[in-house]
Amino acid sequence: MSLKINRRNFLRMLGWGSAGTALTGCDMPSYITEEEGKEDVVSYLIPEEYVIPGIGVWYSSTCTACEAGCGLHGRVREGRVLKLEGNPESPINNGNTCLMGQAQLQGHYNPDRITAPMMRKAGHLQNVSWDEAAAELKKHIGSDSGLKGERFGILTGTVSGHQAVLVDELLDKVGSKNHYVHETVNTTVWNAVCRDMLGEDNPKYHFEKAGVILSFGSDFLATFGSLVHNMGEYAKFRRQEQRGMLVQIEPKMTMTGGSADLWVPIVPGTEGALALGIANFILEKGWNSVDVPDTVKNTLKQYNLVAVEKITGIDANKIKRIASILTERSPSLVLAGASATNQENGYDAAAAIMLLNLLMGNVGKTIDGAWKANEAALRPRQGNTKDLLLLAKAMRDKKLDVLVTVNSNPAFTAPDVLQFSDGLGNVGFKVALSMFPDETTLQADLVLPLSHAMEDWGTHIAAYQPTEAFVGFQQPLMENLYKDSRGFGDMMLTMLKTRSADYDKFPDYYSYLQTAMANMPGATGTAEERWNDILQHGMTKIKSTKKPLSPRLVDFKFKVPQVNTEYPMYLLPSARLGMWDGRHANIPWLQEAPDQISKVVWGSWAEIHPKRAEELGVKNGDYVKITSASGSIEVQIYVHHGVHPDAIAVPFGQGHQEFGRYAKNRGVNPLKILNPLMERRTGELATHATRVAVTNVHKHEYLVKMGGSESQVGRRFIRTTTPDALRRTRRAEKEV
Amino acid sequence: MSLKNVLDNFSFFTRDAEHVNDPNDMNKYGGQTYEHRYAMAIDLDICTGCNTCSTACYAENNLAVVGKERFENGQGMHWMRIERYWDAQEYTSDYPEQGTKFLPMLCQQCGAATCEPVCPVAATYHTPDGLNAQVYNRCIGSRYCSNNCPYRVRYFNMWSYYDTWPEPLNMQLNPDLSVRDKGVMEKCTFCIQRIRNGKDKAQRENRPLKDHDILTACQQACPTNAIVFGDTMDPESEVSKMWAEHEIRRGPITRRIEKDDKEIRGYRIFDELNMDPSIMYLERVRDAEV
Repeated sequence: MSLKINRRNFLRMLGWGSAGTALTGCDMPSYITEEEGKEDVVSYLIPEEYVIPGIGVWYSSTCTACEAGCGLHGRVREGRVLKLEGNPESPINNGNTCLMGQAQLQGHYNPDRITAPMMRKAGHLQNVSWDEAAAELKKHIGSDSGLKGERFGILTGTVSGHQAVLVDELLDKVGSKNHYVHETVNTTVWNAVCRDMLGEDNPKYHFEKAGVILSFGSDFLATFGSLVHNMGEYAKFRRQEQRGMLVQIEPKMTMTGGSADLWVPIVPGTEGALALGIANFILEKGWNSVDVPDTVKNTLKQYNLVAVEKITGIDANKIKRIASILTERSPSLVLAGASATNQENGYDAAAAIMLLNLLMGNVGKTIDGAWKANEAALRPRQGNTKDLLLLAKAMRDKKLDVLVTVNSNPAFTAPDVLQFSDGLGNVGFKVALSMFPDETTLQADLVLPLSHAMEDWGTHIAAYQPTEAFVGFQQPLMENLYKDSRGFGDMMLTMLKTRSADYDKFPDYYSYLQTAMANMPGATGTAEERWNDILQHGMTKIKSTKKPLSPRLVDFKFKVPQVNTEYPMYLLPSARLGMWDGRHANIPWLQEAPDQISKVVWGSWAEIHPKRAEELGVKNGDYVKITSASGSIEVQIYVHHGVHPDAIAVPFGQGHQEFGRYAKNRGVNPLKILNPLMERRTGELATHATRVAVTNVHKHEYLVKMGGSESQVGRRFIRTTTPDALRRTRRAEKEV
Repeated sequence: MSLKNVLDNFSFFTRDAEHVNDPNDMNKYGGQTYEHRYAMAIDLDICTGCNTCSTACYAENNLAVVGKERFENGQGMHWMRIERYWDAQEYTSDYPEQGTKFLPMLCQQCGAATCEPVCPVAATYHTPDGLNAQVYNRCIGSRYCSNNCPYRVRYFNMWSYYDTWPEPLNMQLNPDLSVRDKGVMEKCTFCIQRIRNGKDKAQRENRPLKDHDILTACQQACPTNAIVFGDTMDPESEVSKMWAEHEIRRGPITRRIEKDDKEIRGYRIFDELNMDPSIMYLERVRDAEV
């Protein structure tokens, strides 16, 4: 391409790709347009090509609010992005979004963005010029810095596509393997079980084919996997000829639990026992469609109904009913989520739960092989909490000289016992690529202002691919708000250039991507046509393969958690659709969006069962002290029936000490008081295994939440009917 | 003036309605001649209560984020909100065994709206599109309309909220509609700016308006597509067909409020008040078998 690439030109390129750019200045005197045969005079606007003042133009991009990789369309008018909608072409979200996707705009336009590079001088971060920042960067990580091998680490969230390639290349140039990928909201344990028992870590779920979904705490409509995709499929699942039934078993009602036909509370950490009990009952009755070896049957024998009822606190008749529903409504789909898997016995519980899928013959029906990009380098590195523990240990042991953190805030998500902030002090030089002054960023030695996804280029390959794998293309929807911010890819290239001259041929990440896309195997047409096509659609198919699942049993030994008399209650730090892991706490729309279950806004709360509330003598708005072996928090109470009486649920995402005006000093962070317990097989942080004691501190404040009445008081706004009534509706939908 | 208004307008509405038997002529009652009658159908069975519609509404309609203290005083400006009800008295055990109940609540754009006749300055009026429009410039903040709305979907600007968009957050504001100032009532408009855009586009392309030309922000965003929006005067529109299938029709109530046909799921909230709301809800379904 002969065109000289600079910012101006590549924004023009954008225009050629998607029928019009609205990124324009406003400095020519007048403009005449012809519409409907009339001449309208629009003054003082210089529209560049395709721009009609007052008319929004939609551009394709990819959402980065979580790692699901939904396709976006952004409405751009007069050079500003105003509204985001889903890209209907994307097989992941089919034109829809979630609230976090909608709210990305307020991350982009956030008043607390970091606008200039900052360097630590005499103990304080001070604004510096990019030249100075780049020189400092080169001094510490350049080829002359002496930085080599495992003394270097990069911490990111889930990363894929060409950004992942650049991260790998940088690590490779330094000779390190320390890519820490941290996500607090993850499905790592379940994925590990899927890999071991099905041969595929992110299998495709056919919600729409399932007669019944039995979910052990899997909040698949809100925080589990590709949630917007799941919600779309859930709608199909409910609208089948025979309406799909949802059975949710969990200690705290999640958003998904709110939609359940049958919601069953369970003692946290005993989900595996229930799954084995159901499996045993099914085998006893001979209802299974796939047989298992006698050794397995014999081990299951101990999980008879009486024993399981005692362990899980669930009535034996109910267990029988769940087993018979699984059989009658076959094919079923059995899933496990955070409350079952983020326990010390999480892997074993998930394996027991997966066993039900195998027994009922769901593999190949409701759980299927998934398409995977052939190019391994582009595949996603999925985040987990094991890497957080590894990083904390490496820092404690003073094994890192330079740490680069990218848009990741482990100082907020790490439990206090990991002493993460102290650990950071052991790292010689910390570089934070960040948009916001969060807890981790403010402890860095060099802060580089990152561009928001709305201003940056990127490629994303989602871990969960519902169809043939594709690359979601992220293109800037407007020019940089702040001239000093740089894209992730650009900063990676800057760092790479300090190590090797190979990258000097790429003036920026944009040109790198262009070259990369032109060289992608299977490309048709000229490079320019292809590029324009990608920009227009916001995605491109890549070569991928799908292999069928190979179900097999694994060895596991389920252990029921011990009773703890000192700390009798189970702490459930639950993830919320909206706050996510806390990264969206600085978005006012999401702070004011009520939590789906409690309806609380702008703060933290703890959910407990009325029985327990009565014992403690607390009501809505009273403060309690939640004490674990590792610390304590004080938080307001919200009382409702959708919690196991032995559990206390504290949603996380709030409790920031920094992170801008909307998030700072608001609520509490339950992750801080977690004990350093690990899931035994995968080494993940067992976030749901911490036991706590709860005491009334006799302090009350009004609990700020939406809606005054917890009940309809018989007014029947929301009416409920039975599935028979659906027949007629379905006919209507078919006609439409 | 207002009491006279109430009596006049309501008797006018009912008089007309009583004389009209042909359901098609329902589009003319109340002294209105409609060009369109925009309406919705919301399926409560697949609504997951995720709140995306509400956030999309904030983004589209320049809704102010009021902050914790003002929210505490009930001053939240959520034109579209998700209500969540527990109804603990219905539980057969200690737990909500059938999950919880979510209800997306927004202005029902009533055909015979109780908010309209009480406005002393006619700031709220009925448009030929069948919407309850609010003329911000005319509103003097008497709040009679809000007082009279049984759905509680009118929101009053107790304060000037300009400071809730500190720079550069204000760059996101949608230039297609205003930011309302203190002392003005506001409410869901069925995304009137999108309706305008849709109509303009059809006109530019010299074609009649089609179903799905216009999507409201909440409908567009809904991850389960639980919200259907369209024109009930177009018998071919999806929403018309759904209304017909569930035997909901415009005008005064003719069928029983408590339907006895179990196969019909459609209902309108407060139908018994005879306000002709434009939103049909489809009943939530729960499997009694478990």
